[in-house]
Amino acid sequence: MAEYKLDCMFEACPIPLLKALKKLKKMKIGDVLIMQTDHNCSITNVIEWTKKQGHYIDYIEIGEGEWEIYIEKAK
Amino acid sequence: MNLKSKINNKPWPYWVGGIILAILNIILLFTTGSAWRISTSFLYAGVGILHKLGINVEDWYYFNVYNNGLDSGQTYFNNNIMLISVAIIIGALISVLFFSEFKFKNIKNKKQLFFGLAGGILMGYGTRLSFGCNIGAYFSAIPSFSLHGWVFGAFMFVGAWIGSKILFKYIL
Repeated sequence: MAEYKLDCMFEACPIPLLKALKKLKKMKIGDVLIMQTDHNCSITNVIEWTKKQGHYIDYIEIGEGEWEIYIEKAK
Repeated sequence: MNLKSKINNKPWPYWVGGIILAILNIILLFTTGSAWRISTSFLYAGVGILHKLGINVEDWYYFNVYNNGLDSGQTYFNNNIMLISVAIIIGALISVLFFSEFKFKNIKNKKQLFFGLAGGILMGYGTRLSFGCNIGAYFSAIPSFSLHGWVFGAFMFVGAWIGSKILFKYIL
């Protein structure tokens, strides 16, 4: 089980989602992707998309207007 | 849950935004006599600044072939289109301040700066060739039963499809 970091700070939609999509393709089942973002739309669209794909997802606010999103590849 | 968090808890559905935009555009057309345009305000701002610097833009080929669209008594900085564009920026600012979402964003790196500038120049040049962006040449054109809105829309989707393929494959 590997852990990958994805720096999406100062990037607007749809860049964080596309970056996550590209990274997840290369990952194995059980691997975890940690995304850092300061774009509040990512909280909505990355989470919506990940849930639709059936992966596990959670996020926390690490600073004012900055979030970390955790995605575990499920299939 | 109070009203503030009720409004801002989730993004509004597309159809709600669509209906609000349609009603606002009808009001704008009814009161000013022309539908909503955005990118022309960038033209006016750019040309207005050059004009103030003493560069005579009226001699340029573009303005010889096409009218600058201003009514008599209007200037590059004082006209309907500039007014509404400035009002949109102020309105958006009030809205983000109200919901405590205002934030200064840094430039990530040189790559982002380069592609941002290059994309902006391409978009700006494109809007002048097509006499409008997705607002003036698409959003305002289709409800006016103008064919050019549909042509613009079809090729906008082709462009967006090619652009997103290039973005995903080579730039990200």
